[in-house]
Amino acid sequence: MRYLAYILAVLAGAALSFESAIYGQLGETIGELETSFYNFFMGTLIMGLLWLFFGKGRLSYAMEAPKWSLLGGILGVVYLTAIVISVPFVGVGITMVTVIIGQLIMSMVIEHFGWFGIKQTSINKEKIFAVISMIIALILIN
Amino acid sequence: MDILMILFTLLGGITLSAQSSVQGTFSRKAGTIETTFLTMLTGLVFLTIIVIFFGQGNVLGILSAPVWQLSAAFLGTGFLILSVIAVPRIGVIATNVAVISGQLAISMMIDHFGWFDSLVISFDWKRLAAMLFMIIAVFFIYQGNKRSSMEANS
Repeated sequence: MRYLAYILAVLAGAALSFESAIYGQLGETIGELETSFYNFFMGTLIMGLLWLFFGKGRLSYAMEAPKWSLLGGILGVVYLTAIVISVPFVGVGITMVTVIIGQLIMSMVIEHFGWFGIKQTSINKEKIFAVISMIIALILIN
Repeated sequence: MDILMILFTLLGGITLSAQSSVQGTFSRKAGTIETTFLTMLTGLVFLTIIVIFFGQGNVLGILSAPVWQLSAAFLGTGFLILSVIAVPRIGVIATNVAVISGQLAISMMIDHFGWFDSLVISFDWKRLAAMLFMIIAVFFIYQGNKRSSMEANS
């Protein structure tokens, strides 16, 4: 099961990459903000259908949950907008590298302190090695 | 100005990590499909407001855009579902490192073959080395997680 979760996460990254390449094209014709809007609009429709047919959880938990745990969608919009605005200024390369570095550092901080209800697991040297390897990979690609 | 932009982009990376954590936590009580649906819905509401005030493009252009471009919405949704599934099982760092590896691997493929009218950048030894380092990174994360969970159990 754990192996499977790793594979799913890699697949998620692959999907994200195809998505950004394709949306780059769409953004040129209909506009960047409009493209993000389209993404969330279709996403809502797709997930709405999936939820109606296959939803086994409890959507009403949204009413009792701490309010910060509802912020996922808005954080996603900040991410998308940051990329859209920064690419014309500093280029795709630097944008991706910066986003990834922010992502890695923040992941370490969140997991180390157990923020946002994430199970607290202290940073160990393997995890630091992993992040260093990722940074080397980024330098090599650019 | 550029420095400001880079800091802003860094914030984008930070929010992406925060997003996966927040969703992972929410999904434990509400369910995977429900969490993804809620993320999409709140994002939609938020973007509707932004587009109404700041949108300079043409939303209706969606109706005449080629279908292959529109199909990216399924990828965007797939990404969200998969990351909601992964975070509670393997943690934030592991999910993010694995996501980034998949992302970079496919980006290099797109560059190499020039798919989607992108600029062609050939796969060379530097990129091959980068791939190896990414595989090493995922391996280290796996080892690190195994050790943390062993320490937690003992």
